[in-house]
This record gives sequence, C-alpha cells and structure tokens, in this order.
Amino acid sequence: MPDLGRAGDGTIEVQLEGYEAELLRRLCGEMRLLLEADLPRADPVTDRIFPRAYEDAGDEDAYRELVGTTLKDYKLEALDAVEGALGEEGPARVSLKDEDRDRWLTFLTDTRLALGTRLGVTEETMTREPDPDSPDAVALSVLHWVGWIQEQILEKAMEDG
Amino acid sequence: MGCSAGTRGQETAKYSERAVKWEHLGMQPTIAPERIDETHDDAVTEAERPWLVIVWNDPINLMSYVTYVLQKLFGYSREKATKLMLQVHNEGRSVVSSSSREKAELDCYRLHSYGLWATMTKSD
Repeated sequence: MPDLGRAGDGTIEVQLEGYEAELLRRLCGEMRLLLEADLPRADPVTDRIFPRAYEDAGDEDAYRELVGTTLKDYKLEALDAVEGALGEEGPARVSLKDEDRDRWLTFLTDTRLALGTRLGVTEETMTREPDPDSPDAVALSVLHWVGWIQEQILEKAMEDG
Repeated sequence: MGCSAGTRGQETAKYSERAVKWEHLGMQPTIAPERIDETHDDAVTEAERPWLVIVWNDPINLMSYVTYVLQKLFGYSREKATKLMLQVHNEGRSVVSSSSREKAELDCYRLHSYGLWATMTKSD
C-alpha cells in the first residue's frame, strides 16, 4: 500500500512504489479516454460523472449550455495534475498542497465513480470482500485500492478540522 | 416543476442568453448586467420560493469524502457536514443549500465537479 505522511505545513506526502504508480498512470490513461470520448448521456458512466442538475429536460438543456465544457475541462485538469505528478515511469513521490489535494481527490473520485458505475456496485457489494473467482474481482480490488488512497488523503486533510 | 410550459419557454430563452462565464471551483459566475432578473408581477410568488440543492446517496463515494466536500464548498462545520452526510447515507438524500436559482446552479456545478450526485428543485 502507498505510504502517506503529513508535513507540518499541512502538505500531504504520498509515496508510491513503482507498480502502484504504474497502476495510477494506467487509470489516468483510461480516464482520459473516457473523458475525451464524449460518450452519449445515456451511458450510465457519463450520467454519473456529469450528472443532471434538473429533472426538467428543457431546464437541463439550458443548464448544459451554460456549463459548456467547464465541468469536463475541470476534470481533465485534475487528471493532468495527477499524471504530471506521477511522472512517466518508476516509483513516485508526490507532495499535495491545497489545490493539488483537491485535484487528486477529484481524479480519484471520478475514477471510482467510473469503475463502480461500470461494475454496477451497490452498498452491499461495496462492503463485501470481492469474490476472487468473479470476473469483476480485479476491477473491484482496484476500486477499493483507489478508495483506500483517497481515505488516507482525506484523513490527513481533515486533521485540520 | 413549478412553472407552466409557456413561462418555462420564455425563461429558457432568457436563460440561454446569459453571458455567464464559469471558471473553476470557488469562482463566482460573472453575469452580464442585463441578465439581472426582471421580476414579473405574475411571477412574484414563484420568485420568492428558493431553489433547493439536494445531494443523493450513491454506493461509491466515501462518507468521509462527502463530509469533506460539504465542509469545503459550503463552509459548514464538521458537525453540520457530518449530519448532512449521514442524512444522505441513511435517508437517501439531503438538502444541502437553499438559495436563488443562480446560486443553486453554481452549487450543483461545484458538487458535480467534486463528483457528488446533486440535483436542484424549487421548494414547495
């Protein structure tokens, strides 16, 4: 598991082994494809990452027009920040200050939302140990692993209150 | 929702003319002066009812993360953010803010940027 620490000024230090950094790099690649693919709104993952604000179709269309690409751009910026911090290869040591911290949390959340939605997880399947024989076992383990990193970052971030 | 098809059509037309440039989190939208709401007589009661932003439960987001986001975006205390998060978790939804339509849209947008499932609706 990645090693996380917190410096006196609140900076969160994340140390990733080579294989851990590599897994996150791959997830970055997957998320880039997903975010840049402009999947139809009917796709459950798109619908979860870019949720509706309004129930009414007309209001929702107007809202979409207003938001434009800003939501997607924001998510891509978070992704860029994570990808940049990981570097191209090998282990990674990352220092997260306020803004970076939120970019990482955003990226980790989007990744978990995409994975979890694709897998169709429920509250119940999320609390159970993944069945090792299930075809979804690896993806579920990745989902939990990303959640573990996120939880650690949050724990350190919330030490301030 | 709360308005007739005709009113909604007018509103939508007006709405799409908005010169709003949304920057990222925490930024206020810059609204062109002509966009300031004209209140029609027949819409006074409508206008008085605030818009509610609702966060819905989902099986993926971490409880600690939902608390973190509510504190961060709304400046709520840990106690209040935790209470709202637990309401989302236990009851399936929670109203996290009540405001003008513009503010509610921005709140929704910011919650979506953080990956929370949020919608807005006019209060009854």
